[in-house]
Amino acid sequence: MNELIDKLKGEIIEQLNLEDIEPEDIDAADPLFGDGLGLDSIDALELIVLLEKEYGLKIDDPKKGKEIFHSINTLAEYIQKNQ
Amino acid sequence: MKTTNIYINGMACISPQESLDKSQFLEVAIEHTGNQLSCIEPKYKDFIPPMQARRMSRILKMCNVAAQISLKDAGVEKPDAIEIATGLGCMADSEKFLKSIIDNGEEMLTPTAFIQSTHNTIGGQLALALGVNNQNFTFSHNDLSFEHALLDSLMLIRENEARNVLLGGADEITENTHIIKEKLGLLKMNAGSNFDILTDETSGTIEGEGASFFVLSPDKANSCYGKLTDLSFGYKPTDMADLEKGIIKLLSKHNLKIEDLSLVISGYNGDQQNDEIFKTLGARLFKSTPQAYYKHLCGDYMTSSAFSLWLAARIMKEQKIPKIINLNEIGQGPINHIFIHNQASNNNHSFILLSKC
Repeated sequence: MNELIDKLKGEIIEQLNLEDIEPEDIDAADPLFGDGLGLDSIDALELIVLLEKEYGLKIDDPKKGKEIFHSINTLAEYIQKNQ
Repeated sequence: MKTTNIYINGMACISPQESLDKSQFLEVAIEHTGNQLSCIEPKYKDFIPPMQARRMSRILKMCNVAAQISLKDAGVEKPDAIEIATGLGCMADSEKFLKSIIDNGEEMLTPTAFIQSTHNTIGGQLALALGVNNQNFTFSHNDLSFEHALLDSLMLIRENEARNVLLGGADEITENTHIIKEKLGLLKMNAGSNFDILTDETSGTIEGEGASFFVLSPDKANSCYGKLTDLSFGYKPTDMADLEKGIIKLLSKHNLKIEDLSLVISGYNGDQQNDEIFKTLGARLFKSTPQAYYKHLCGDYMTSSAFSLWLAARIMKEQKIPKIINLNEIGQGPINHIFIHNQASNNNHSFILLSKC
């Protein structure tokens, strides 16, 4: 799990071009949107593409998106359960 | 149009030269080798918050910084209108998006490159950053893009629709457009120093890039660089006499003669065929006038005429012609009127007349 979390941190930094942010700066439990990393709706689209491209996972129920993308931890859990 | 004095009250230019440096004016010109002149870029972190900058391509960052500095220079917080000129728009993001379409078999396309790839992204981003909800136009008319944005700015002010207009001209070099230009034979294939473009007798030019921004207003500020006396166009002149007649007519509108021009800045780009017109005019109509060129400093790109206006305005304010742009040895007196002539393939000519504030 920790390996997956570290991998996700690196992928998110690269995909979202988060300048000046290192993987160790991100707390896996912090919210990705709003107060945490401060991501927005365009980032959400980027993350959906990342999930599909890198892990072959599609989110069929959009209502679950908020829960899945809450934090790196929740995202990693979703990947582990569904891959 | 009404005759209203229009002033350049602020400006900033990012180019392959140290053009943001106000402490010197092309005293140390930067030499580049090859057919590509890339910009000397500022530290973006000093101007743009990282969370905003992360989605911006180079051209967007350059424009954002040049716009910020020019507005500050003019003492204007929020302009009444934004007028942008760009020949190729946000080409880096266009290329990125097209490449992802190919790489991913037209599936799983990411939104950022798509959103940022349009020509009017520059104007849109500036409007968001500055909170400007008024007129926001982008002009993409090949080599006349900047002149058309300038014309619209002048009309806006003359029609009393705006008092402070943020005008910018920008284009960027990208890997693929550079390759395409080389394949089309538009660029010199064995280019040496950018300072040698006029003695290099091969065809083609050297590619450049840049972002030049201006704040125009009918109100003259203390920071004023120059007065935009006129902007005019010429289309496919029948011969040299026709071209000369047009220039003389334009000057006479302002009770000026060739002898009244303090300097002529021409768009020599190093291509023998292109430059023939400038050489002939220089040897006939302007034979007794100080002459200058500029594309050896910024390279050739669709909005390079914006660099020529920046150059002229800085010369006017400082009353000094940098040695690196001199074409002849005619002595310099007080600088009151600068005439800028650009043209592409003898089809579209543009003339800008800048006068002292």
